[in-house]
Amino acid sequence: MTSIISIKNLSKTFRGADGVEVHALENVSLDIQEGEFVSLIGPSGCGKSTLLRMIADLIQPTNGQLTVNGKTAQQARKDREYGFVFQNATLYEWRTVIKNVELPLEIMKHGKEERRARAREMLKLVELGDFEEKYPWQLSGGMQQRVSIARALAFQPRLLLMDEPFGALDEMTRERMNNELLRIWTAMPEMTVVFVTHSISEAVYLSSRVVVMSPRPGRIAEMIDIDLPRPRGSATRDLDQFFHLTSRVRHALRQGVGLGIDE
Amino acid sequence: MAAASERIEPNARAERPPRDSSGMRTLLSSILIIAALCLLWEGLKNFSKSVDYALTVGETTIDLSLFNDTQLPHLGDILGAFSEPSQRNGPPLYAMLLENALYTLWAAVRGFFIGGAIGFILAILFAHSRLLQRGLLPYVVASQTVPILAIAPMVVIWMGRAGALEWSVPIIAAYLTFFPVTIYTLRGLTSIPPTALELMQSYAAGWWDILVKLRLPNALPQIFTALKISATASVVGAIIGELPSGIQTGLGIAILNFSRYYNQSPPRLFATILMAGLLGILFFAVIAGVERLVVRWRAEAAS
Repeated sequence: MTSIISIKNLSKTFRGADGVEVHALENVSLDIQEGEFVSLIGPSGCGKSTLLRMIADLIQPTNGQLTVNGKTAQQARKDREYGFVFQNATLYEWRTVIKNVELPLEIMKHGKEERRARAREMLKLVELGDFEEKYPWQLSGGMQQRVSIARALAFQPRLLLMDEPFGALDEMTRERMNNELLRIWTAMPEMTVVFVTHSISEAVYLSSRVVVMSPRPGRIAEMIDIDLPRPRGSATRDLDQFFHLTSRVRHALRQGVGLGIDE
Repeated sequence: MAAASERIEPNARAERPPRDSSGMRTLLSSILIIAALCLLWEGLKNFSKSVDYALTVGETTIDLSLFNDTQLPHLGDILGAFSEPSQRNGPPLYAMLLENALYTLWAAVRGFFIGGAIGFILAILFAHSRLLQRGLLPYVVASQTVPILAIAPMVVIWMGRAGALEWSVPIIAAYLTFFPVTIYTLRGLTSIPPTALELMQSYAAGWWDILVKLRLPNALPQIFTALKISATASVVGAIIGELPSGIQTGLGIAILNFSRYYNQSPPRLFATILMAGLLGILFFAVIAGVERLVVRWRAEAAS
């Protein structure tokens, strides 16, 4: 296995509106292997979204090294190494569902027929084949997010970065989306997912590894390997091991917060 | 951590509302409003006449002579004026007004397109260069504080010297129309939800793709708002532009002539004003129709 994301001593300092420096992230080191499903979890202000956005080169670190697929984050972005899924689906309201999925392929200058075929395939994958010609406002929140996942996968990136993608969905829809995502990830064995969430059970259910982060300054409190058997399904949530792992994550989160307060 | 631009309510699914009844309702309510205004007009005239154009309340007397027939003609007289000859042995007023209105409309349309194009190009430049925006936008705003009446004669003289007098009216109209297009388009191009822009960055999209696939479609509703304002403004600009132009045709010239003879025949000026209003509404309606065709995703969601 090769390391697809390599992070060493990464720090990010923002200057707030009042001129006070905020240490969003301090000395974070993390290696993510190809094919892993890694969740970043932590309370707000722990820098988990900041870390994800730095991997995506949407914001730049203040200090430290970060490589994606052996390249700088900027080069990786320019080479379209990753697909990004935002918390709000961020569909373009003037485009139909299928035209939204085609968007990255248009920008990457794929041919018209290939675009159509690929977008159609992706919409089938997220089970929205019948909604091609709908506009985003005609879909529910969960369906919109599935379109945005189809769009992120349309150009077959090896890395999927997800920023609280199901955070705005209700519990039932969220669990269904979790299963969808696992099914898609299983269908693409080479794909690596970095997944930001604030839900403990979601993180444990999905991941091969959970990275617990703590706030002020943002740092990694603990890494927990999730060795739950695969394929995972509704029965997984009833396993003793599942309860054991969720309480471990919960414990780590609590300790992490304590760690921040002690300083 | 949630993006501040969350615009879509999760699970909020809008069903397409029934369309026909709302259109009928709009039509009905506008007819009712027009009828009410007509009643008010005639009612005020009748009331004023019944009190001999002077209303005494306690110690003070209010002069109501504004409502007499030489100041404010009856609606029937205004409508009647359309079919009467515009001058001795001349064609009926409506034919004369129609000819002049078409002339004015053609100048307004040319001004609308010139102003629209200039406004649009300025907005795109401003959206991509903070330096240009900071340097030039104040002058764009200041340009609109200069009275158009002061600029119109200059334009006429310049265009006359350049041998293109027939373009002086469109250019005066363009002076009024470029401004709303610049301001609204600029706002539409730049008020993009942050994540919509980040999505483009994640694809390493160039400025052209961002402009064509994100900024422009995002700005379309605002652009059409501006074009609707500009459509009516271009009619006003053309009418004002005709006054110093020395041209003998156009609604502006008709307004000038009929206001000279207002004391003899007030209905003709009112009829001309009515025609100018209809012209502006017509132009507005055409743009609104184009908007419905172009901004389809909104039309379906909002109707």
